[in-house]
Amino acid sequence: MNFLNPFFLIGAAVLAVPVLIHLVRRERSEIVPFSTLMFLLKIPKRMVRQQMLKNLLLMLLRLALIALLVGVFARPYLMQSATPDGAPTGSGRGVVLMLDNSSSMRYGQNFEKMKSEAVSKINALGGSDRMAIVGFNDSATILVQPTSDKGKLRAAVDALEPSFAGTRYFEAFALADRLLGQFGSQEQHLIMISDFQRTGWNRSSRESVVGHDVKGEMVSVGVTDSANVGIDNVSVDATSFVRTYSGRIVARIHNYRRDKDVTVPVALVINDKEEARKNVLVPASGTALAEFGGFDLALGFAKGKVKIVTDDPLPQDNEFLFGIERREKLNVLILDSGRPRASFHLKAAFTAAPDLPFNVKVANASVVTPEELATQDIVIFNDVQRLSDPVRDRAVQARRSGRQGQLVVLGNSSDLRWWETMSGFPAKPLRSVDVSKESGKTVVYLTSYDRNHGIFKRFQGSSRLGLNTAQFNHYIELEPKQGAVAIAKFDNGGAALVESPVEDRGMLVFASSLDMNWNDLPLKPSFVPFLHESTRYLTRYNAAKGWYSLDESIPIIGTVDGGVARVIDPSGTQKQIGEGELKAGEQLYFAPETPGFYELRVGRNSQILAVNSPSNEGNLEMMVPEDLLASVQSTEAEARQTGTFVTDDKLEYARRQMGWWYLLLIALIAGIVELYIANSRTQSVRRVG
Amino acid sequence: MSSHIIDRPKNRFIDPKVLIRIQNMELLARTVVEGFVTGLHQSPYLGFSVDFAEYRQYQPGDEIRRIDWNVYGRSDKLFVKLFEGETNTRVLIILDMSGSMNYGSSEVKKSDYAKMLASCLTYFAYHQRDAVGLLTFDDGVRDHIPASRRTGQLHSLLHTIEHAVPAKGTEFKKPLHFLGEVLSRRGMVIFISDFYDEPANILAGLKILKAKGNDIMAFHIMDDFELTFPFEDMAQFEDMETADKMHVIPEYVRNQYLNVVGNHIDALRKGMSAVQIDYTLMNTSKPLDAGLFSYLAARAHTV
Repeated sequence: MNFLNPFFLIGAAVLAVPVLIHLVRRERSEIVPFSTLMFLLKIPKRMVRQQMLKNLLLMLLRLALIALLVGVFARPYLMQSATPDGAPTGSGRGVVLMLDNSSSMRYGQNFEKMKSEAVSKINALGGSDRMAIVGFNDSATILVQPTSDKGKLRAAVDALEPSFAGTRYFEAFALADRLLGQFGSQEQHLIMISDFQRTGWNRSSRESVVGHDVKGEMVSVGVTDSANVGIDNVSVDATSFVRTYSGRIVARIHNYRRDKDVTVPVALVINDKEEARKNVLVPASGTALAEFGGFDLALGFAKGKVKIVTDDPLPQDNEFLFGIERREKLNVLILDSGRPRASFHLKAAFTAAPDLPFNVKVANASVVTPEELATQDIVIFNDVQRLSDPVRDRAVQARRSGRQGQLVVLGNSSDLRWWETMSGFPAKPLRSVDVSKESGKTVVYLTSYDRNHGIFKRFQGSSRLGLNTAQFNHYIELEPKQGAVAIAKFDNGGAALVESPVEDRGMLVFASSLDMNWNDLPLKPSFVPFLHESTRYLTRYNAAKGWYSLDESIPIIGTVDGGVARVIDPSGTQKQIGEGELKAGEQLYFAPETPGFYELRVGRNSQILAVNSPSNEGNLEMMVPEDLLASVQSTEAEARQTGTFVTDDKLEYARRQMGWWYLLLIALIAGIVELYIANSRTQSVRRVG
Repeated sequence: MSSHIIDRPKNRFIDPKVLIRIQNMELLARTVVEGFVTGLHQSPYLGFSVDFAEYRQYQPGDEIRRIDWNVYGRSDKLFVKLFEGETNTRVLIILDMSGSMNYGSSEVKKSDYAKMLASCLTYFAYHQRDAVGLLTFDDGVRDHIPASRRTGQLHSLLHTIEHAVPAKGTEFKKPLHFLGEVLSRRGMVIFISDFYDEPANILAGLKILKAKGNDIMAFHIMDDFELTFPFEDMAQFEDMETADKMHVIPEYVRNQYLNVVGNHIDALRKGMSAVQIDYTLMNTSKPLDAGLFSYLAARAHTV
């Protein structure tokens, strides 16, 4: 039995107080002259004995009460002693075998050596010994619960495969300690077989997780002089809007050898075609960069990799995967009423930098042809009074086909009634509101918006990009239609940005103009990002990341179309992510398990993702195994203070071992019995005379 | 005839703890009784008038000076004139001086209290022209001064009371047997004792005295600790008469002790009441007024 707060046990010293008082008073028994004993002699001895017994019982009850309360405050807990196999406890050893199957164990014959060592440890078990096996990489898993069945243990070792994941020791020790707790009073042993990679020491807590009485045995299968050379990073622009890749692909080559420089051939491969190769001299224990560029890309996703052409003992860090998407620039058509400078700020927002993925064209809405409109990725109706019927019909058709997103900016020129009748228009424009006339305020602010929506995610956590700095003196009062959602609102509650319903996606309506007449939004830093994010959202365009690491969670964001999210892993297995359809703007994550190219599909949209092993797994520099154990094992002094510093595991055990509740219950019953007896004893005393 | 009903005065008696400092019993008795009388705001002789009561025919032996010559002149017969005040009572105070009377939880021992009470009653009775006597006893008769109104009797009584010292055990039979022999005339017998004997023994002796026509008053002197048993600490209790010792845990025996003492007092009160003996329980922590009032009431019945 252990205690979470053993300091409270000091309170048990209080138990001695009544006993001491009793003894002291007994020692001081004096002679008291009394007039006569005749009355005292008449008292039946049986009554006195009963009284003595009662008092003794009372004292015992009170002592028990104190002891129980001390016990309650000390929070006793029993380490779990029940074993899954029902094996006997109290004899033999309890062994936890920790096996490292991280990516670095693929180095040379390390993994095979680890298995061989594990089997020999299993074979060395005595008849009454029990063993549990924990496999660990960047997470820890119980492979076998405590058992004395050697066959079961050997089978688990045989079945163990090296992973592509990184190394994290602390979580593995924490899990092992929990398993050690199951051995109860058995002698506890901890055996760890690993390459003791220094980069795996991720200790995030100063807490000691392994008890001081646990005997540790660290078995190293690592190498002290690693001959590994690997790629630990590649810098790549994942989207290209031109045929010839204009950016640069920069790979960082790491030579982990300490003894000599190496020259390695580094190749760039795009869609399984080697585009370039160069020899790179990498100094000992140093890095060198290999740069590539100027290759052509076809439209769509390209699977790229940089590889070192070498045969070192750790092959998986010789290749580094990345993805590049070549796509056309987004065609943005801004339609306005033809008023001078009506679209000045809008156009400027889309042409602020030369490499922005937008082709922008401004036209008068009254002269645009249906054909011209139909070819656009996005159309912005900037304070347009109304459209001709053919243009309107084509616009509705293009939007419903899912090929075009539309942003309607309402302003002074807009014919509100006409826009209300447009098919799929998500809001009912009620009237033009002059803020200074409507209320005591001169302006309203855009203060409230759905921070989880795809458009506004970028504004999270950025005080600089605050939308709420813009002042609006006029706006159109909008009433969202059924199914439509106001995703941004003014501070007076009026809708600022309304999104069309789920079944009629692709249109946003902004309730105020963007020409500086009704507000000063175009002057604010949030203006350009707001427009870009709205455009990206409406055109389902997401700037892809070149590659992910295996220890990252990859986000999947629902586009304007929505749909079921599926992932096809490098082996071709398709897996649905989440339950049901991923709605527009919603976000899910999936965790890849092996490096390679993944295809991510959400509805009709598809994307290629490259996933690499954690780059630090290539660094096989070892730490001293005994140091590792010492850093997680509590000292005797710490063990004495366990009450002050308890692990989450022990708290978990304490939660499971609710013995203190029973103690409290018994203390309560003892208290009630004590009260009853004490009251019956002090019943009304007859006063004579 | 004056009324015997006496209203109880207020705030007049002195605490026994103060009285105990007065060593001289005569002074003490005078202090208490005069104070008591002053408190009554009436003459101490109220109820004891010298009013005419009746005529009786002269009998040989009667004093010649008591013959009412006026009546003789009218009727030619000799009549003796009798007055109420001349009906003197013989008062015998029996004072228990056994070892148990030496007990006192404060500076006022039971014996001190009993002596104060005896002194006051003696003083009171003497000044009411009663013949007063004294008998002190423990397990036997120690001092006996027969009742008398002679000069110096008061001084003699108070001196004896003052120098009485408690000792030995209690034996009621002997003094009661002795009294049965020496009391030739009926009168008032006042017992001042803690009555530490079996109620049956005590009552048996008192009944004999009562049967002889005596009026008996019993003052039961008890210490406050004897009545409440407030002891806390475990101790060896030593009997002050027999020197026997007993290991006592007060907490355990308190209830039973109080029951037994209560039963003892009840038995005495009921037994005495049954034979018209005035019984008064006196707590030594309380003033003496209760004793004096009891005496006054009893005396009024007697005359």
